[in-house]
Amino acid sequence: MSYLLKTLKKKEEVDSMIRDTIDKLLVLRFGRSSDSVCLQLDDILSKSEREVSKFASIGLVDVDSEEIQVYTKYFDITLIPSTVFFFNAHHMKMDSGSADHTKWVGAFHRKQDFIDVVEEIFRGAMKGKLIVNCPLPPERIPKFQLLYKDM
Amino acid sequence: MEAPSETNNANPSTVTTKRNSKTKGKNNDFEFCKVCKLNHNQGRRHNYFPNHIKSLSSFLSRFQSKISDVRFFLKNPSLLRPELASRNRFWCVFCDSDVTEHGSSFACEKAIAHLASVDHLKNLKTFMWKHGGGMERVDRFQVSEADLAKYEQKCISMKNEGASEQSRGALIGPSNDIHNELKFDYIDNFDRNHIGSRNSSFPNGVLPLQNHTNEKYQVSQSDLSGGAASNTSSYDNKSLLLASNAKRSNNVQGKSSLTEGHLHNGLVYSEKREANGEVSSAGLLKLTQISSTVHNVDVGNVHSGAPPPWFDTTNRIHLDPAPKPGTKMDPVTKTVKSKLNPKRVGAAWAEKRKLEMEMERRGVLLTNRFDANWLPNFGRVWQSGSRKESLKEFAVEAKKPPKDEIESDSSVQLQPYISKRMRREANG
Repeated sequence: MSYLLKTLKKKEEVDSMIRDTIDKLLVLRFGRSSDSVCLQLDDILSKSEREVSKFASIGLVDVDSEEIQVYTKYFDITLIPSTVFFFNAHHMKMDSGSADHTKWVGAFHRKQDFIDVVEEIFRGAMKGKLIVNCPLPPERIPKFQLLYKDM
Repeated sequence: MEAPSETNNANPSTVTTKRNSKTKGKNNDFEFCKVCKLNHNQGRRHNYFPNHIKSLSSFLSRFQSKISDVRFFLKNPSLLRPELASRNRFWCVFCDSDVTEHGSSFACEKAIAHLASVDHLKNLKTFMWKHGGGMERVDRFQVSEADLAKYEQKCISMKNEGASEQSRGALIGPSNDIHNELKFDYIDNFDRNHIGSRNSSFPNGVLPLQNHTNEKYQVSQSDLSGGAASNTSSYDNKSLLLASNAKRSNNVQGKSSLTEGHLHNGLVYSEKREANGEVSSAGLLKLTQISSTVHNVDVGNVHSGAPPPWFDTTNRIHLDPAPKPGTKMDPVTKTVKSKLNPKRVGAAWAEKRKLEMEMERRGVLLTNRFDANWLPNFGRVWQSGSRKESLKEFAVEAKKPPKDEIESDSSVQLQPYISKRMRREANG
């Protein structure tokens, strides 16, 4: 599924994508294309890419590649798929009621959910907000457990 | 149950009558829409169809461009050569008539007369009413009476001036040789005034520049002496300037050197001054100054085929060192900025980056010249405080791991606690 979207394997690629996406929301999916949940998410991303193309661009990041390790550490990515949002090279957070506000962990239930989330974050960013509330009802937010430093 | 049955009964008759009336209307009223070039039976409804509106606007804009040509001549009446008269014709789309310029002595004279006529106005109004052009646009497609009166006045004055001339045909568009001839001519026999009167018949806008400008000096002078010229004084200076340039370029082009050209110019001026007295001397003073500033030949001008000065500005932008971001904004980015919320996330960064990207595209800045260790702003999961701190924390973490390993290595050798007494007992 990942061939439909731009896959980034180097830190520079991720860097330049973050830096060159201006006044648009950047959606970075960290994961591996063989993972089943990642495939599900990629399917949703690739289908909705065109629809959100006016205000968002989407990139896939391969967590297995050596150069990306910096980012996986910096972004504290422990579960895949994790989706991180950027706007003008600023990290956008979302309060979805889960433990991690910094990223979206897991897949979306349907395409519209993803579009809603992206739109909400974009609108928030245009209003100058660094964190927004999740527009989705709690039953459609994937649950996960976060461990602090493996404890 | 009753109600529906009633309606059922009632319906067929009404429907058929309606249909009849509709079909009647349709069959009878086929008409041709001039704008869409289409036969239709829609009646007035047709005017509101998007296709009609589109083609109407293009239709009108096409005619508008034609009229703007005519309007040019309305403002600056110019003589029409008889041999060109047959080629000059004007198709009026509103009146469906061809306006030819046969027998008119000024360019577009008949066309202007037509546009100002009552018939044209009437046809124009019916057209606008029929095709829904909007009555407020009527003024654009006709010539007002005031304009016409002005035009006629200008024409009459031109005619009067022209009356003293001999041949009009020969005067327009002489070849380069003639031009040279004339140039030397007038240096020699300076006080031939009739050339001047001939030239004054050109209005400001329609000067055949290069060829005639030589004679301009005399023209204006004669005019001044005659007292006929109201606007000639300013016009005069201009023409003088042009003349000097033209002459200089000619000299550059030709075998004679530039110095000769200047000499030549100087000659001319001196003669001028003698002949024309103080009125022209002001203009001449100006002229000499200009010619001195124009001295450097390398720059070139229109006549020598050099690029116009405004081309240089674009080059300069390329050569300019990168302006500091934030000090000067491109007009483009400014407009974009005004559209977006200035308080959006990373607005300042976006503006800066946009400028950088613009320069990268132009090749002024190197692409990807940012630090390899660059990291975006990010708020980490367990981080409290500003986002910069998470970057710092990460930097510390990135350095740490080797240390941690060493510490863990050293701490591996854990030993059970053995008290002094136990040790002593063991020893003893």
